[in-house]
Amino acid sequence: MKRPVLTARPSRRELLYHSGMGLGAIALSAMLQKDRAQAGVLAPKRGHHDAKAKNCIFLLMEGGPSHIDTFDPKPKLAELHMREFVKEKNKFEASMNTGKRYFVRSPFEFRRAGRMGIEINAKLAHFADCVDDVCFYRGLQATSVNHPTALYHLNTGNRFGGDPAIGSWVTYGLGTENQNLPGFVVLPDLAYPQGGAGNWSNGFLPAHYQGTPLRSQGAPVLDMRPPEYVTEHQQRKTLDFLGRLNRSHSQRHPHHDELASRIESYELAFRMQADMPEAINIDSEPEATRELYGVGSGNSEVDSIARRCLLARRLVERGVRFVQVIVSGWDSHEYIEKAHGTRLDSIDRPIAGLLKDLKRSGLLEETLVVWAGEFGRTPDNGLRGGQTVWGRDHNAPAMAFWVAGGAAPRGKIVGATDETGRNAVEVVHPIKNMHVTLLHLLGLDDTRLTYFAQGRQKQLSQTGGELIKELIA
Amino acid sequence: MRRRNRSKEIREGSGLRFLRSGLIFLSGLVGAASAVAADSPAELFRNTIQPVLKQQCLGCHGEGNIFSNLDLRTRAAALKGGQRGPAIVSGSPDASLLMAAIDHAGELAMPPGGPEKQLPQETRDAFRAWIAAGALYADGHSTAKWDFEEGDIWAFRPVKRVEPPTEGVDPSGVQTPVDSFVLARLAEKGLEPAPRADKRTLIRRLTFDLTGLPPTPGEVQAFLDDESEGAYKKVVERLLDSPRYGERWGRHWLDVTRYADTAGYSNDFVRPNAWRYRDYVIRAFNSDKAYDRFVLEQIAGDELFPDDPEAILATGFLRMGPWEHTGMAVAAVTRQLFLDDVTHHVGQSFLGLTLACARCHDHKFDPIPTKDYYRMQAVFAKTAFARRPLPFLPSESTEGFDQGRKPIQTRLEELERRMNDLHEAARERLALEKGPEAAADARTTTLQRYLSSEQAELLKLLRKRVIMHKRSVLRFEPLAMTVSNGYVAEWEHLRYRNSYLQPGDYAGAKTHVLVGGDIQAPGEEVSPGVLEAVARYSDLPAPQIPDRLSGRRSALARWIADARNPLTSRVLVNRVWQYHFGRGLAANANNFGKMGKKPSHPELLDWLATFFIEQGWSVKAVHRVILYSEAYRRASDHPNRELVDQVDPENIYLARFSPRRLEAEEIRDSMMAVAGELSDFVGGPGTYAQINMDVAQQPRHAMGTLQPVYEAEPTRRRRNRRSVYHFQRRSMMDPMIEVFNGANPDLTCERREASTVPTQAFALLNADLSRDMALIMAQRLDSLPAWMRVDGAFRLALGRGPTSQERDWTEEFVAEMTAHHAENPAAPRRPQADIVHTITSELTGERFEFVQPAYSGPYEHHPHPSEMPPGTRAWADLALALFNSNEFVYVY
Repeated sequence: MKRPVLTARPSRRELLYHSGMGLGAIALSAMLQKDRAQAGVLAPKRGHHDAKAKNCIFLLMEGGPSHIDTFDPKPKLAELHMREFVKEKNKFEASMNTGKRYFVRSPFEFRRAGRMGIEINAKLAHFADCVDDVCFYRGLQATSVNHPTALYHLNTGNRFGGDPAIGSWVTYGLGTENQNLPGFVVLPDLAYPQGGAGNWSNGFLPAHYQGTPLRSQGAPVLDMRPPEYVTEHQQRKTLDFLGRLNRSHSQRHPHHDELASRIESYELAFRMQADMPEAINIDSEPEATRELYGVGSGNSEVDSIARRCLLARRLVERGVRFVQVIVSGWDSHEYIEKAHGTRLDSIDRPIAGLLKDLKRSGLLEETLVVWAGEFGRTPDNGLRGGQTVWGRDHNAPAMAFWVAGGAAPRGKIVGATDETGRNAVEVVHPIKNMHVTLLHLLGLDDTRLTYFAQGRQKQLSQTGGELIKELIA
Repeated sequence: MRRRNRSKEIREGSGLRFLRSGLIFLSGLVGAASAVAADSPAELFRNTIQPVLKQQCLGCHGEGNIFSNLDLRTRAAALKGGQRGPAIVSGSPDASLLMAAIDHAGELAMPPGGPEKQLPQETRDAFRAWIAAGALYADGHSTAKWDFEEGDIWAFRPVKRVEPPTEGVDPSGVQTPVDSFVLARLAEKGLEPAPRADKRTLIRRLTFDLTGLPPTPGEVQAFLDDESEGAYKKVVERLLDSPRYGERWGRHWLDVTRYADTAGYSNDFVRPNAWRYRDYVIRAFNSDKAYDRFVLEQIAGDELFPDDPEAILATGFLRMGPWEHTGMAVAAVTRQLFLDDVTHHVGQSFLGLTLACARCHDHKFDPIPTKDYYRMQAVFAKTAFARRPLPFLPSESTEGFDQGRKPIQTRLEELERRMNDLHEAARERLALEKGPEAAADARTTTLQRYLSSEQAELLKLLRKRVIMHKRSVLRFEPLAMTVSNGYVAEWEHLRYRNSYLQPGDYAGAKTHVLVGGDIQAPGEEVSPGVLEAVARYSDLPAPQIPDRLSGRRSALARWIADARNPLTSRVLVNRVWQYHFGRGLAANANNFGKMGKKPSHPELLDWLATFFIEQGWSVKAVHRVILYSEAYRRASDHPNRELVDQVDPENIYLARFSPRRLEAEEIRDSMMAVAGELSDFVGGPGTYAQINMDVAQQPRHAMGTLQPVYEAEPTRRRRNRRSVYHFQRRSMMDPMIEVFNGANPDLTCERREASTVPTQAFALLNADLSRDMALIMAQRLDSLPAWMRVDGAFRLALGRGPTSQERDWTEEFVAEMTAHHAENPAAPRRPQADIVHTITSELTGERFEFVQPAYSGPYEHHPHPSEMPPGTRAWADLALALFNSNEFVYVY
């Protein structure tokens, strides 16, 4: 049975008039003023320059998808397959990458897609239709080969965590269109990623900019619904009573303006509670749209990713500024054929569905879609699992990344890796330059999007970076 | 762009590779020169100049030989030059012989070997840019200037001995010297102080401030009834003596030092004995340990006081940061992470300086050259992590160890059983294929291959979980999380396996300046030392720090704890002031440098610092001189509020008292306290609180698999403790704490924010914890005679009785809700269910499900509405409203 939500939203007027006592005009105007100030925190703001993209959907592939097996084919590896890969001893090598190592070929077929015949993994049959809208970037380099630090780096610019996530920075810079929904939403996979909530932390920015994970089961926002034994009437009456206590308390402290803002925060909470169920109700989408994403597919993985992608579109459509969708399970040290194969099968329809849906509604013009893992994977492997079930280890100097929408180039490959895919060799840039570029595509200037903390003006790129001009059409 | 890549190749490889990449580089890249220009001099040196110098120049001019008497290893030597005169003229590439030589522009052509060996144009451009920018070398020291504005280095100047001012100060408003300073500043601003707050307000303010809990109705009444002269001081003294004081003030220090019970990052492993450091801190505050001793113990307790177990526990401080080493990481890098962490945090915690800024370049704002940063880091070069036996002290509580260990032990046994079953299954299969002998010695990685992929995934999970539970059980053992200088045979140390670099070689460990903070670009070697600026600007000379294995940390600690160190005492009294008034005299407690806010009352800060040292570094003495002052006792409102707000909107000058919202722990602990549910036993391994069930059961990745399920303690006494004693997991904060701006343990927290966000309303209204505490409070009210209940509820929650209007509203509300509940029986409690965790398997990319059976032991539930009469449920609704009220969460 569907239980009623916490309460119908009490309007400000109701709160005032149901209070059973008059409220002085001064208190009322203080409250209204505060209301405006409160809206100010997350109110939409102009960026630093005009940009086509106003929102961002960041598809985070947790675990490090292999560029070599997805969007950057390396036929050379078929030649080198099972040949020992000898390299100099390097004290800056993780023990994961030590021992005897062998080149391994990609177990996957590739196909050409789009007007330019860009090569992609042949499993991506639906995504192939979207290639002309996507810019594949092969020059990006991460720094860390350790999951949590690499994830923090990709998400916050700081490998060691503690800094604001890119979604927090964007919301800080642009505010958000819908005051009744969080400005920065995270749609996690079944399990939270390594490093946990630090991946969507507001860091040193005020708490308003923290990413809100929406849960797929139970209450979408923590404690948004009361325990099941609480009736709507009970909740409503309790709140009315609370309103009385708070107002008489406010009268005793007329100069303490934080009180009004706390009262207002309860109202905001209820507005969120009222609007959220509609926003996340995927069932209200037309059958054809759900089908496009793969919602209701017999495959539970496809269905789960499809729901998150469709939800991302609904949220962006309703004025949420930044949505991060997390898809885990890419850490294929062994069994890459099976594990990456299943992952690719699972993301193909949902992600293609998202791009197609955004495109046909025109939202792609103003929504940047980013697809990235925290690092790429090596052309070689230690064959821990034996010769038949090889996989690939972590590789920072080359990785998989694409961007679509807004002013991103369409149907293009930017940059290149060497013949085995170990290193990026053309249009090579570190993560921080990618961050600068994403902010730029959203109308923000990294050097001006700063916040004073820990003794200096901090920014997403940490100490400044440069624009990757090739990623701007 | 390619430049980056190229320099990487230079670093890695041979000259041949270098040439090849040079060719790639030359083949048609435009705009690279501008990219060179965009590099900072330090980056330029690290990325381009240093590798070329190493590979092309130093063989003849520095390392192997010193041909032509030219040594290019250091900036000074290069400026001095060789037989032909200076090689480099800083700032003038055209006047530099080196430039002419590599350009083949004069009689010299370097490197030797003709045009084929000439450096690519790009590299030569880089040299040109580098020399033009001052030819900054590895030591990062060449640009250090000491011409700072006096106002920016105030904190490095000696603490001044000042007399309390008398001008403009009305002696009747002076309770302690603090008042003289405050009143003098108010007079300058043309402001009158607000009158004293009423007694109810004062006892609530004091009790929260010193203990983090509300006063009981009895304590309020006793204070109201005590009309004696010393009534107020009696309350202050009672609170300072309360064990609750250390729990509250220890928490402040734990905010600064980033206390948590786990290590963070991918595995977020339990640090089994970290809690003994937490309890050490609480005891130190309760016993008013002299602060200089507190400093010495935390930095070098093992060296200075090897026979004092407290001092051994104290060194846990050095290991409080998030830190992890796994096979995915590079040992040299993770070791360096620790060194950077400890250097920065010693500076931040004790000296109020952001040393991390000087890791890559000389500090841009403060007098801290990079070299000083690495000299301080060298103090820790010999510091190894150690876990050593240390019997529990009489002052350490071992209450409930058996109760705490049991549920974990039970789980551990269950997990081991399941793991062994899988091993057996695999062995059987292996024995069939390869014979029983192969099966007997098979390692787990081999065994894994004889399992289905689903079983293999399960095995991975079980193995990790067994490790984690074993660590968790270790929490109850008498071990200390501490440090040592190098390895000690009898103790456990972290050892790096499979690594080309063995940081275990502590005796030989050397410290180099790392150019640009990059571990792959070691520059000049440095010996241990302290910040030069302190000796330069104050009267504390720099100590000689021995270059031996032992004694480095003692020397640093003594220098910090020296009464003449101008930073240490100021930083601490400023922190104390901030926690009392909500704002420090210098408003950034962790930053006394140029970028921190300047002190509003510099003389008062110095007077307090002097007083603090004279009182034997007694923190409680500082409390008294502040709490006894009139400034602390003022009302939060002001008769002439408009003027005050106009002149001093942020209340910097303290014409009135600034109200504050309670901190996260205070809110949570207060709900339990007024419900009568809060346990009072102190210390011991972190206990598992009741947290939001969705969060507790949320699957979370650990490296390669999942984290264990969070399970609350089965007994109420262990579950419902003060927040400071609960198990703090870095990767999963208690959402009730997190939502109210709790301290993120990955970052030092100098001051709690108090921003108001809508999710706080959800937590206080709907969380099981708030609801449960409301019901328990209702049971408490039930025990009162009916006519006393309204009164009791208000007195417990708000420290005052209801107004007559509030009494009417409450009676009406409770009556109405009682009727409502009578007609609406509550849905029954859900039985504890098995916990099912679903993830995407790394081995197959398909879904994998892990079922953890519900806890089978006895579980002491909180009361549930379905078991309560309608009246009690109605009183719970009232209690919940009180918990959510503004009056409950604000202190005036």
